[in-house]
Amino acid sequence: MSDIPHYNQAPRRRAEFIRPPNTLKAKAGSGGLSEEILIKAQALLENNAVDFQPLAELYMTAMQRAIDTARDGLKNGNDEQLISGILYPAMQLKANGGMFHYSLITRFADRMIQFLEVIETLDHDVLDIIDAFHSTMRAIVMGKITGDGGRYGDELIEALNEACMRYFEKSTGAPKPIDYTYLNRNEDVPAEE
Amino acid sequence: MTYQLETVSVLVVEDNKPMLDIAKSLLLTFGVGHVITATNGEMGFEKFCEYNPDLVIADWMMRPMDGISFTRLVRNDPRSPNQYVPIILMTGFSERRRVLQARDAGVTEFLVKPFNARDLYKRLAQVIERPRQFVRSDDFFGPDRRRRRSAEAGDYTGPLRREADLGNADIRQRFIDQRQEAHDTLRTIREKAGLSAGDKFPLSVEDIDFQ
Repeated sequence: MSDIPHYNQAPRRRAEFIRPPNTLKAKAGSGGLSEEILIKAQALLENNAVDFQPLAELYMTAMQRAIDTARDGLKNGNDEQLISGILYPAMQLKANGGMFHYSLITRFADRMIQFLEVIETLDHDVLDIIDAFHSTMRAIVMGKITGDGGRYGDELIEALNEACMRYFEKSTGAPKPIDYTYLNRNEDVPAEE
Repeated sequence: MTYQLETVSVLVVEDNKPMLDIAKSLLLTFGVGHVITATNGEMGFEKFCEYNPDLVIADWMMRPMDGISFTRLVRNDPRSPNQYVPIILMTGFSERRRVLQARDAGVTEFLVKPFNARDLYKRLAQVIERPRQFVRSDDFFGPDRRRRRSAEAGDYTGPLRREADLGNADIRQRFIDQRQEAHDTLRTIREKAGLSAGDKFPLSVEDIDFQ
Protein backbone atom coordinates (compact mmCIF):
# COMPACT_ATOMS: atom_id res chain seq x y z
CA MET A 1 0.00 0.00 0.00
CA SER A 2 1.23 3.43 -0.81
CA ASP A 3 1.58 6.19 1.74
CA ILE A 4 -0.35 8.53 -0.50
CA PRO A 5 -3.61 9.48 1.28
CA HIS A 6 -6.93 8.27 -0.07
CA TYR A 7 -9.01 10.78 -2.02
CA ASN A 8 -11.62 10.57 0.69
CA GLN A 9 -13.82 13.56 0.04
CA ALA A 10 -17.22 14.51 -1.29
CA PRO A 11 -17.70 13.99 -5.03
CA ARG A 12 -17.04 17.12 -7.01
CA ARG A 13 -20.06 17.54 -9.22
CA ARG A 14 -20.14 20.49 -11.58
CA ALA A 15 -23.81 21.12 -10.87
CA GLU A 16 -26.69 19.72 -8.91
CA PHE A 17 -29.89 18.96 -10.82
CA ILE A 18 -33.18 19.29 -9.00
CA ARG A 19 -36.61 18.27 -10.19
CA PRO A 20 -39.07 20.20 -8.03
CA PRO A 21 -42.63 18.87 -7.57
CA ASN A 22 -44.99 20.12 -10.27
CA THR A 23 -47.64 21.64 -8.02
CA LEU A 24 -49.05 23.66 -10.88
CA LYS A 25 -49.79 20.52 -12.88
CA ALA A 26 -51.28 18.82 -9.82
CA LYS A 27 -53.72 21.71 -9.43
CA ALA A 28 -54.48 22.38 -13.09
CA GLY A 29 -54.95 18.79 -14.22
CA SER A 30 -54.79 18.13 -17.94
CA GLY A 31 -56.58 18.85 -21.18
CA GLY A 32 -55.58 22.45 -21.83
CA LEU A 33 -58.13 25.21 -22.36
CA SER A 34 -61.10 24.97 -24.66
CA GLU A 35 -61.19 26.87 -27.95
CA GLU A 36 -64.27 28.67 -26.66
CA ILE A 37 -62.34 30.14 -23.72
CA LEU A 38 -59.47 31.21 -25.98
CA ILE A 39 -61.85 32.94 -28.38
CA LYS A 40 -63.53 34.69 -25.46
CA ALA A 41 -60.16 35.82 -24.08
CA GLN A 42 -59.04 37.09 -27.49
CA ALA A 43 -62.29 39.02 -27.89
CA LEU A 44 -61.71 40.60 -24.51
CA LEU A 45 -58.28 41.69 -25.66
CA GLU A 46 -59.48 43.07 -28.98
CA ASN A 47 -62.46 44.89 -27.53
CA ASN A 48 -60.68 46.59 -24.67
CA ALA A 49 -61.64 50.25 -24.56
CA VAL A 50 -58.45 51.58 -23.00
CA ASP A 51 -57.51 54.97 -24.43
CA PHE A 52 -53.80 54.55 -25.05
CA GLN A 53 -53.24 58.06 -26.36
CA PRO A 54 -52.76 59.90 -23.00
CA LEU A 55 -50.36 57.22 -21.84
CA ALA A 56 -48.51 57.27 -25.15
CA GLU A 57 -48.16 61.05 -24.90
CA LEU A 58 -46.49 60.64 -21.51
CA TYR A 59 -44.02 58.17 -22.99
CA MET A 60 -43.38 60.47 -25.98
CA THR A 61 -42.64 63.35 -23.59
CA ALA A 62 -40.32 61.14 -21.53
CA MET A 63 -38.56 60.10 -24.73
CA GLN A 64 -38.13 63.72 -25.83
CA ARG A 65 -36.59 64.54 -22.44
CA ALA A 66 -34.24 61.57 -22.74
CA ILE A 67 -33.20 62.64 -26.27
CA ASP A 68 -32.52 66.20 -25.05
CA THR A 69 -30.48 64.84 -22.14
CA ALA A 70 -28.54 62.65 -24.57
CA ARG A 71 -27.75 65.64 -26.82
CA ASP A 72 -26.53 67.63 -23.83
CA GLY A 73 -24.40 64.74 -22.61
CA LEU A 74 -22.92 63.70 -25.96
CA LYS A 75 -19.36 64.62 -25.12
CA ASN A 76 -19.04 63.55 -21.52
CA GLY A 77 -22.12 61.47 -20.76
CA ASN A 78 -22.33 57.74 -20.16
CA ASP A 79 -23.66 56.41 -23.49
CA GLU A 80 -25.18 53.27 -21.97
CA GLN A 81 -27.10 55.30 -19.43
CA LEU A 82 -28.24 57.86 -22.01
CA ILE A 83 -29.41 55.12 -24.37
CA SER A 84 -31.32 53.34 -21.62
CA GLY A 85 -33.13 56.62 -20.88
CA ILE A 86 -34.48 56.57 -24.44
CA LEU A 87 -34.98 52.81 -24.44
CA TYR A 88 -37.42 52.74 -21.52
CA PRO A 89 -40.22 54.83 -23.12
CA ALA A 90 -39.52 53.17 -26.50
CA MET A 91 -40.03 49.77 -24.91
CA GLN A 92 -43.26 50.88 -23.24
CA LEU A 93 -44.55 52.13 -26.59
CA LYS A 94 -43.60 48.94 -28.37
CA ALA A 95 -45.02 46.63 -25.73
CA ASN A 96 -48.24 48.47 -25.07
CA GLY A 97 -49.09 50.06 -28.42
CA GLY A 98 -50.08 46.78 -30.02
CA MET A 99 -52.04 45.72 -26.96
CA PHE A 100 -54.23 48.82 -27.22
CA HIS A 101 -54.87 49.06 -30.98
CA TYR A 102 -51.82 51.16 -31.89
CA SER A 103 -49.95 48.48 -33.79
CA LEU A 104 -48.18 51.04 -36.02
CA ILE A 105 -46.60 52.51 -32.88
CA THR A 106 -45.40 49.03 -31.96
CA ARG A 107 -43.81 48.60 -35.41
CA PHE A 108 -41.96 51.93 -35.19
CA ALA A 109 -40.88 51.43 -31.59
CA ASP A 110 -39.68 47.93 -32.46
CA ARG A 111 -37.42 49.24 -35.23
CA MET A 112 -36.22 52.01 -32.95
CA ILE A 113 -35.33 49.54 -30.19
CA GLN A 114 -33.49 47.31 -32.64
CA PHE A 115 -31.50 50.37 -33.65
CA LEU A 116 -30.81 51.42 -30.05
CA GLU A 117 -29.73 47.90 -29.16
CA VAL A 118 -27.00 47.69 -31.79
CA ILE A 119 -25.46 51.16 -31.89
CA GLU A 120 -22.15 51.30 -30.11
CA THR A 121 -21.89 55.01 -29.36
CA LEU A 122 -24.16 58.01 -29.38
CA ASP A 123 -23.44 60.78 -31.85
CA HIS A 124 -25.41 63.45 -33.72
CA ASP A 125 -26.21 61.07 -36.60
CA VAL A 126 -27.69 58.55 -34.20
CA LEU A 127 -29.71 61.20 -32.39
CA ASP A 128 -31.01 62.57 -35.68
CA ILE A 129 -32.36 59.13 -36.55
CA ILE A 130 -33.85 58.76 -33.07
CA ASP A 131 -35.42 62.20 -33.48
CA ALA A 132 -36.99 61.08 -36.76
CA PHE A 133 -38.48 58.03 -35.04
CA HIS A 134 -39.75 60.19 -32.22
CA SER A 135 -41.36 62.77 -34.52
CA THR A 136 -43.06 60.09 -36.60
CA MET A 137 -44.42 58.26 -33.57
CA ARG A 138 -45.57 61.52 -32.04
CA ALA A 139 -47.50 62.32 -35.21
CA ILE A 140 -49.16 58.90 -35.05
CA VAL A 141 -50.11 59.35 -31.41
CA MET A 142 -51.40 62.92 -31.87
CA GLY A 143 -53.29 61.86 -34.99
CA LYS A 144 -54.76 58.88 -33.11
CA ILE A 145 -53.76 56.62 -35.98
CA THR A 146 -54.76 53.16 -34.82
CA GLY A 147 -54.13 49.94 -36.73
CA ASP A 148 -51.08 49.18 -38.82
CA GLY A 149 -51.20 52.33 -40.96
CA GLY A 150 -51.62 50.39 -44.22
CA ARG A 151 -49.44 51.29 -47.20
CA TYR A 152 -48.60 54.70 -45.73
CA GLY A 153 -47.36 52.99 -42.56
CA ASP A 154 -45.21 50.63 -44.63
CA GLU A 155 -43.65 53.53 -46.52
CA LEU A 156 -42.83 55.43 -43.35
CA ILE A 157 -41.26 52.34 -41.79
CA GLU A 158 -39.26 51.73 -44.94
CA ALA A 159 -37.97 55.31 -44.99
CA LEU A 160 -36.75 55.13 -41.40
CA ASN A 161 -35.37 51.66 -41.95
CA GLU A 162 -33.31 52.95 -44.85
CA ALA A 163 -31.96 55.75 -42.65
CA CYS A 164 -30.84 53.15 -40.10
CA MET A 165 -29.27 50.97 -42.78
CA ARG A 166 -27.38 53.95 -44.21
CA TYR A 167 -26.08 54.67 -40.73
CA PHE A 168 -24.91 51.07 -40.26
CA GLU A 169 -23.26 50.96 -43.63
CA LYS A 170 -21.50 54.23 -42.91
CA SER A 171 -20.39 53.29 -39.38
CA THR A 172 -19.71 49.56 -39.51
CA GLY A 173 -19.84 48.60 -43.14
CA ALA A 174 -22.61 46.08 -42.67
CA PRO A 175 -25.96 45.55 -41.02
CA LYS A 176 -26.14 42.68 -38.53
CA PRO A 177 -28.42 39.75 -39.23
CA ILE A 178 -30.93 38.82 -36.56
CA ASP A 179 -31.84 35.25 -35.65
CA TYR A 180 -35.18 34.98 -33.91
CA THR A 181 -35.26 31.21 -33.55
CA TYR A 182 -33.86 31.26 -30.02
CA LEU A 183 -36.85 33.13 -28.62
CA ASN A 184 -39.61 30.76 -27.63
CA ARG A 185 -40.08 27.05 -27.59
CA ASN A 186 -42.58 26.05 -30.21
CA GLU A 187 -43.51 22.70 -28.82
CA ASP A 188 -47.13 21.65 -29.04
CA VAL A 189 -49.48 22.78 -26.33
CA PRO A 190 -52.04 20.30 -25.05
CA ALA A 191 -55.29 20.13 -26.93
CA GLU A 192 -58.59 19.67 -25.22
CA GLU A 193 -59.24 16.03 -24.48
CA MET B 1 -61.63 17.46 -19.71
CA THR B 2 -59.91 20.84 -19.54
CA TYR B 3 -57.60 22.60 -17.11
CA GLN B 4 -59.16 23.36 -13.76
CA LEU B 5 -57.43 26.57 -12.73
CA GLU B 6 -59.73 27.77 -9.94
CA THR B 7 -57.27 26.72 -7.22
CA VAL B 8 -54.29 28.19 -9.06
CA SER B 9 -52.88 31.54 -7.93
CA VAL B 10 -50.89 33.81 -10.24
CA LEU B 11 -48.92 36.92 -9.34
CA VAL B 12 -48.75 39.52 -12.13
CA VAL B 13 -46.09 42.23 -11.75
CA GLU B 14 -46.48 45.05 -14.26
CA ASP B 15 -46.02 48.82 -13.90
CA ASN B 16 -48.38 49.79 -16.70
CA LYS B 17 -51.86 49.83 -15.15
CA PRO B 18 -53.93 49.17 -18.32
CA MET B 19 -51.58 46.30 -19.22
CA LEU B 20 -51.84 44.92 -15.70
CA ASP B 21 -55.64 45.01 -15.94
CA ILE B 22 -55.60 43.26 -19.32
CA ALA B 23 -53.30 40.48 -18.09
CA LYS B 24 -55.46 39.98 -15.02
CA SER B 25 -58.66 39.85 -17.10
CA LEU B 26 -57.14 37.29 -19.48
CA LEU B 27 -56.09 35.05 -16.60
CA LEU B 28 -59.51 35.30 -14.99
CA THR B 29 -61.09 34.41 -18.34
CA PHE B 30 -58.80 31.36 -18.46
CA GLY B 31 -60.37 30.39 -15.14
CA VAL B 32 -57.47 31.24 -12.80
CA GLY B 33 -58.95 31.42 -9.31
CA HIS B 34 -56.71 34.02 -7.70
CA VAL B 35 -54.80 36.77 -9.49
CA ILE B 36 -52.55 38.91 -7.31
CA THR B 37 -51.15 42.13 -8.75
CA ALA B 38 -48.18 44.40 -8.08
CA THR B 39 -46.85 47.43 -9.93
CA ASN B 40 -43.09 46.98 -9.55
CA GLY B 41 -40.52 44.37 -8.60
CA GLU B 42 -40.18 45.50 -5.02
CA MET B 43 -43.89 45.32 -4.33
CA GLY B 44 -44.02 42.13 -6.37
CA PHE B 45 -41.53 40.41 -4.10
CA GLU B 46 -43.49 41.48 -1.01
CA LYS B 47 -46.66 40.01 -2.50
CA PHE B 48 -44.76 36.90 -3.56
CA CYS B 49 -43.57 36.33 0.02
CA GLU B 50 -47.05 37.01 1.36
CA TYR B 51 -49.11 34.84 -1.02
CA ASN B 52 -46.62 32.27 -2.36
CA PRO B 53 -48.38 32.02 -5.77
CA ASP B 54 -48.14 29.00 -8.10
CA LEU B 55 -46.94 31.10 -11.03
CA VAL B 56 -45.45 34.54 -11.58
CA ILE B 57 -45.83 36.69 -14.68
CA ALA B 58 -43.59 39.76 -14.56
CA ASP B 59 -42.77 42.62 -16.87
CA TRP B 60 -39.10 43.27 -17.58
CA MET B 61 -38.92 47.06 -17.69
CA MET B 62 -40.26 48.45 -14.46
CA ARG B 63 -39.08 51.12 -12.08
CA PRO B 64 -37.71 51.19 -9.43
CA MET B 65 -37.08 47.42 -9.53
CA ASP B 66 -37.25 45.62 -12.88
CA GLY B 67 -38.31 42.06 -13.69
CA ILE B 68 -34.75 40.73 -13.82
CA SER B 69 -33.87 41.94 -10.31
CA PHE B 70 -37.23 40.64 -9.11
CA THR B 71 -36.46 37.21 -10.62
CA ARG B 72 -33.07 37.13 -8.90
CA LEU B 73 -34.76 37.87 -5.57
CA VAL B 74 -37.29 35.08 -6.05
CA ARG B 75 -34.56 32.59 -6.96
CA ASN B 76 -31.91 33.56 -4.43
CA ASP B 77 -33.29 35.55 -1.51
CA PRO B 78 -33.61 33.56 1.75
CA ARG B 79 -37.07 35.09 2.30
CA SER B 80 -38.37 33.55 -0.94
CA PRO B 81 -41.08 31.00 -0.08
CA ASN B 82 -40.61 29.09 -3.35
CA GLN B 83 -37.36 29.38 -5.31
CA TYR B 84 -38.71 27.01 -7.94
CA VAL B 85 -41.81 28.95 -8.93
CA PRO B 86 -42.18 29.29 -12.72
CA ILE B 87 -41.57 32.86 -13.86
CA ILE B 88 -42.83 34.08 -17.22
CA LEU B 89 -41.14 37.32 -18.24
CA MET B 90 -43.17 39.69 -20.40
CA THR B 91 -41.04 41.95 -22.53
CA GLY B 92 -40.78 43.84 -25.77
CA PHE B 93 -37.13 42.81 -26.04
CA SER B 94 -36.36 40.18 -28.62
CA GLU B 95 -32.61 40.62 -29.03
CA ARG B 96 -30.56 37.54 -28.29
CA ARG B 97 -28.37 39.12 -25.62
CA ARG B 98 -31.48 40.22 -23.73
CA VAL B 99 -32.92 36.71 -23.86
CA LEU B 100 -29.64 35.32 -22.52
CA GLN B 101 -29.60 37.94 -19.78
CA ALA B 102 -33.10 36.97 -18.65
CA ARG B 103 -32.36 33.26 -18.88
CA ASP B 104 -29.23 33.68 -16.77
CA ALA B 105 -31.27 35.52 -14.12
CA GLY B 106 -33.53 32.48 -13.74
CA VAL B 107 -36.52 33.25 -15.95
CA THR B 108 -38.51 30.15 -16.99
CA GLU B 109 -40.30 31.38 -20.12
CA PHE B 110 -40.54 34.46 -22.31
CA LEU B 111 -43.68 36.19 -23.47
CA VAL B 112 -42.95 38.82 -26.09
CA LYS B 113 -45.21 41.86 -26.02
CA PRO B 114 -47.51 42.68 -27.64
CA PHE B 115 -49.11 39.26 -27.29
CA ASN B 116 -52.50 37.71 -27.90
CA ALA B 117 -54.60 35.39 -25.74
CA ARG B 118 -53.20 32.28 -27.38
CA ASP B 119 -49.60 33.39 -26.79
CA LEU B 120 -50.29 33.75 -23.08
CA TYR B 121 -52.04 30.40 -23.00
CA LYS B 122 -49.09 28.71 -24.75
CA ARG B 123 -46.67 29.95 -22.10
CA LEU B 124 -49.05 28.91 -19.34
CA ALA B 125 -49.41 25.43 -20.85
CA GLN B 126 -45.65 25.24 -21.27
CA VAL B 127 -44.92 25.73 -17.57
CA ILE B 128 -47.72 23.32 -16.61
CA GLU B 129 -46.85 20.53 -19.03
CA ARG B 130 -43.10 20.90 -19.44
CA PRO B 131 -41.62 22.17 -16.20
CA ARG B 132 -37.88 22.74 -16.25
CA GLN B 133 -35.56 20.92 -13.92
CA PHE B 134 -33.45 23.26 -11.81
CA VAL B 135 -29.71 23.59 -11.70
CA ARG B 136 -27.61 24.69 -8.76
CA SER B 137 -23.95 25.43 -9.40
CA ASP B 138 -21.37 27.78 -7.97
CA ASP B 139 -22.52 30.70 -10.07
CA PHE B 140 -26.10 29.87 -11.04
CA PHE B 141 -29.39 28.77 -9.58
CA GLY B 142 -32.46 28.55 -11.76
CA PRO B 143 -34.27 26.57 -14.43
CA ASP B 144 -32.02 24.43 -16.61
CA ARG B 145 -30.86 26.73 -19.40
CA ARG B 146 -30.51 23.96 -21.95
CA ARG B 147 -33.41 23.51 -24.32
CA ARG B 148 -34.65 19.99 -24.95
CA ARG B 149 -34.79 20.76 -28.66
CA SER B 150 -31.04 21.44 -28.70
CA ALA B 151 -30.34 18.06 -27.19
CA GLU B 152 -32.44 16.37 -29.84
CA ALA B 153 -30.56 18.20 -32.57
CA GLY B 154 -27.21 16.99 -31.23
CA ASP B 155 -24.42 18.89 -29.56
CA TYR B 156 -24.59 22.63 -29.88
CA THR B 157 -21.73 23.87 -32.03
CA GLY B 158 -22.18 27.63 -31.72
CA PRO B 159 -19.71 29.64 -29.70
CA LEU B 160 -22.04 31.39 -27.28
CA ARG B 161 -23.59 29.33 -24.49
CA ARG B 162 -23.72 31.84 -21.62
CA GLU B 163 -23.88 35.61 -21.38
CA ALA B 164 -20.62 35.49 -19.42
CA ASP B 165 -18.93 33.80 -22.40
CA LEU B 166 -18.62 37.19 -24.09
CA GLY B 167 -15.92 38.00 -21.52
CA ASN B 168 -13.70 35.32 -23.09
CA ALA B 169 -11.72 36.83 -25.97
CA ASP B 170 -11.58 33.58 -28.01
CA ILE B 171 -15.30 32.89 -27.67
CA ARG B 172 -16.12 36.48 -28.43
CA GLN B 173 -14.03 36.34 -31.60
CA ARG B 174 -15.74 33.10 -32.69
CA PHE B 175 -19.08 34.77 -32.04
CA ILE B 176 -18.09 37.76 -34.17
CA ASP B 177 -16.80 35.45 -36.93
CA GLN B 178 -20.02 33.45 -36.92
CA ARG B 179 -22.07 36.61 -37.09
CA GLN B 180 -19.99 37.86 -40.00
CA GLU B 181 -20.47 34.53 -41.76
CA ALA B 182 -24.21 34.81 -41.24
CA HIS B 183 -24.13 38.32 -42.61
CA ASP B 184 -22.23 37.19 -45.71
CA THR B 185 -24.78 34.43 -46.26
CA LEU B 186 -27.58 36.94 -45.93
CA ARG B 187 -25.92 39.24 -48.44
CA THR B 188 -25.51 36.36 -50.88
CA ILE B 189 -29.19 35.53 -50.53
CA ARG B 190 -30.12 39.18 -51.09
CA GLU B 191 -27.96 39.40 -54.19
CA LYS B 192 -29.42 36.21 -55.64
CA ALA B 193 -32.92 37.45 -54.96
CA GLY B 194 -32.18 40.91 -56.38
CA LEU B 195 -33.04 42.62 -53.08
CA SER B 196 -31.39 45.60 -51.46
CA ALA B 197 -30.37 45.98 -47.83
CA GLY B 198 -33.36 46.08 -45.49
CA ASP B 199 -35.80 44.40 -47.89
CA LYS B 200 -37.86 41.62 -46.43
CA PHE B 201 -37.64 38.35 -48.29
CA PRO B 202 -40.34 35.72 -47.89
CA LEU B 203 -38.04 32.74 -48.34
CA SER B 204 -37.85 29.50 -46.44
CA VAL B 205 -34.65 27.53 -45.94
CA GLU B 206 -35.72 25.06 -48.63
CA ASP B 207 -35.85 27.89 -51.18
CA ILE B 208 -32.22 28.80 -50.76
CA ASP B 209 -29.38 27.36 -52.77
CA PHE B 210 -26.33 27.72 -50.56
CA GLN B 211 -23.90 26.37 -53.19
